[in-house]
Amino acid sequence: MTQTLALLHAAYRELNARKLFWITLALSGIVIVAMAALGINEKGLTVFWWQFDLALVNTQFMPVDVFYKIIFAELVVPYWLAWIAAILGLVSTSSIFPDMISGGSIDVLLSKPISRSRLFLTRYFTGLLFMTLQVTVFATLAFLVIGIRGGVWEPWIFISIPLVVLFFSYLFCFCALMGLLTRSTIASLLLTMLFWFFIFGINSFEGITMAGETANELSLELSQADLDEAVEMGDPIEVTEPLSERLATDEENLASWRFWNLIGYGIKAALPKTDETIELLSRTLRDKADMAAEDERESQGRLFGVTQRISMREFEERMTDKRDARGLFWIIGSSLIFEFILLAFACWLFSRRDF
Amino acid sequence: MADAPTIDLQEVSKTYRGRVHALRSVSLQVHPGEIFGLLGPNGAGKSTLVKIMMTVVRPTSAVGTVLGRPVGHKPTLARVGYLPEHHRFPQWLTGRQAIDFAGAMCKIPRGQRIRRTAELLDVVNMTDWASRRLGTYSKGMQQRIGLATSLINDPELVLLDEPTDGVDPVGRREIREVLVRLRDEGKSVLVNSHILSELELFCSRVAILVQGTVVRQGSVESLTRESCRYEITVDGTVDQIAPLSGLGSVTTESLEGTAVRLTLQTRDPSDVQPIIDELRRNEFTIRQVAPTRDSLEELFMSSVTDPATGQTLQPGAGRSGRTHVTEFSGEATSEAPPPPPPPPSSSSASGETEPGGAS
Repeated sequence: MTQTLALLHAAYRELNARKLFWITLALSGIVIVAMAALGINEKGLTVFWWQFDLALVNTQFMPVDVFYKIIFAELVVPYWLAWIAAILGLVSTSSIFPDMISGGSIDVLLSKPISRSRLFLTRYFTGLLFMTLQVTVFATLAFLVIGIRGGVWEPWIFISIPLVVLFFSYLFCFCALMGLLTRSTIASLLLTMLFWFFIFGINSFEGITMAGETANELSLELSQADLDEAVEMGDPIEVTEPLSERLATDEENLASWRFWNLIGYGIKAALPKTDETIELLSRTLRDKADMAAEDERESQGRLFGVTQRISMREFEERMTDKRDARGLFWIIGSSLIFEFILLAFACWLFSRRDF
Repeated sequence: MADAPTIDLQEVSKTYRGRVHALRSVSLQVHPGEIFGLLGPNGAGKSTLVKIMMTVVRPTSAVGTVLGRPVGHKPTLARVGYLPEHHRFPQWLTGRQAIDFAGAMCKIPRGQRIRRTAELLDVVNMTDWASRRLGTYSKGMQQRIGLATSLINDPELVLLDEPTDGVDPVGRREIREVLVRLRDEGKSVLVNSHILSELELFCSRVAILVQGTVVRQGSVESLTRESCRYEITVDGTVDQIAPLSGLGSVTTESLEGTAVRLTLQTRDPSDVQPIIDELRRNEFTIRQVAPTRDSLEELFMSSVTDPATGQTLQPGAGRSGRTHVTEFSGEATSEAPPPPPPPPSSSSASGETEPGGAS
């Protein structure tokens, strides 16, 4: 325990010594101030003392507390914490392992009565300290803003701490492995960014193919309904034949989208679920903290492509249902398995290497 | 010396990638209450050997014990102090924090650490600098803090890799005093160093490692015993000395001016008397008669010199197929046969084995 505390203390001192930690924290403070500066009333949005009258964003559509929760869960966390702060976090922590295994430094650590695997894992967890401290401060400030400005003290806000740290850990485990393999801070950082970009690409591909599949499912259902109705009404073949052809085309398109979605899903299944992990925050706040807004404006919208027969709302509901059908095990469990495999390999490598 | 060895290594070998033989069946013993010097040219395997004992490098094969436990036994390291050659502590730590961190990693309770840190800062004369960051320290100051970190756990065995590197003469003396104090407390100290004159001052025993093999091991006195000789300096020239019939197996060498040095390989002063008589009989002025023996540096140089060619061996670990080491392999004991004669002007040739780079 003395050793673990010493390593944690050293990591804290390291963070303290790094300017980037304080810069990130200061930027987080600015984001929170910006969040607090925003307000909503029956006329529209307010920014500080300025009033912006908006017909679609006002308290008739969403209560004040929901407004802040949506800003927190849909904007601030995904864009600030899960992108910019995560990048700054990676920049700050990517040197942990290359520095640790550099000559002179590793000798000092390995010559102590601590096993290599424990040393590696403790250093790994101290690397997560950066994000943990950042998110904890951020979530606490957000909790205060939502409480003071929104009038609701929402403890579920704090679920963002483990979720964002978890998300960061997916990338950091890869960064740690690259740091061990390349011994270079720059190389490990760039390779991690590349890996993140790859995950992003796969996520986008899977999302697009899922959207295509969903749209075609809805289209197929409509085509089937139209055909059934036509047959039931006893329409002549001139009417039913085009409907049958459309049905066949929809089936063909759907099969094609399903195939590509299956490939995207298969690749994604093996990778950490960065997007879904962050989306869990929205899902949790929606389920546990009444975050859902009465958003009727989309109901009349029509979906692009696919002959514009499908309502946007129906499409979004179907997509949300599909995403929500992916359970915690698939999102977090499979990601943790990925992380575990990477860490086990890195740990094995670290334990066997000569320095 | 009757106690069990602190370090008792038998057949320690390390081969990198199956080709580079950093260590070849190294055997070595260090006893309680002695300062042991590990010498060798760059790349001889000294640091690798120390790193194996400290579990930084995994041996290809190793039989032996450190403090009575098998090599690689992690908990034993709590009783060992180690100062790596190019140690690097986090530069944002202060001197005090670095020593405290090293103590915590050795599982020393906080109260004890605080007390011991203050003591050690005093020992290495760094109390006034204790609250400044390591990044602001000079090389010598970092070395002092490094020494303190290696002693925080009050170790029974201390392994120091170039401890006086970058330290000024005053600091060197202080470090030397610390090592002698440790020895007097019954602790074992193993020192890797290139500064042979310094090692000669305080090492009880030494081992010379060349291309991964221990070619000499023993006390400096025992290792240089075979080189004991008497040197007689007289006025005159070699030509004037040569005709004398009663000088026996004396070798002569011209010195600057009109002086000659006669050397007789013997430890017995009675062997010298007839030569003095002969010189006096022929009215040579005797300036000096002195018993002498090889210095550690001369011993070292003879160990790293190929007896066949008279050339110093190339630095670096032995690779498969290189044969230099086998010529020395039979000499790796404390009762080593006399070393091959040093090459001409050997005493000034030490620079030839120092091409730079860490060993």
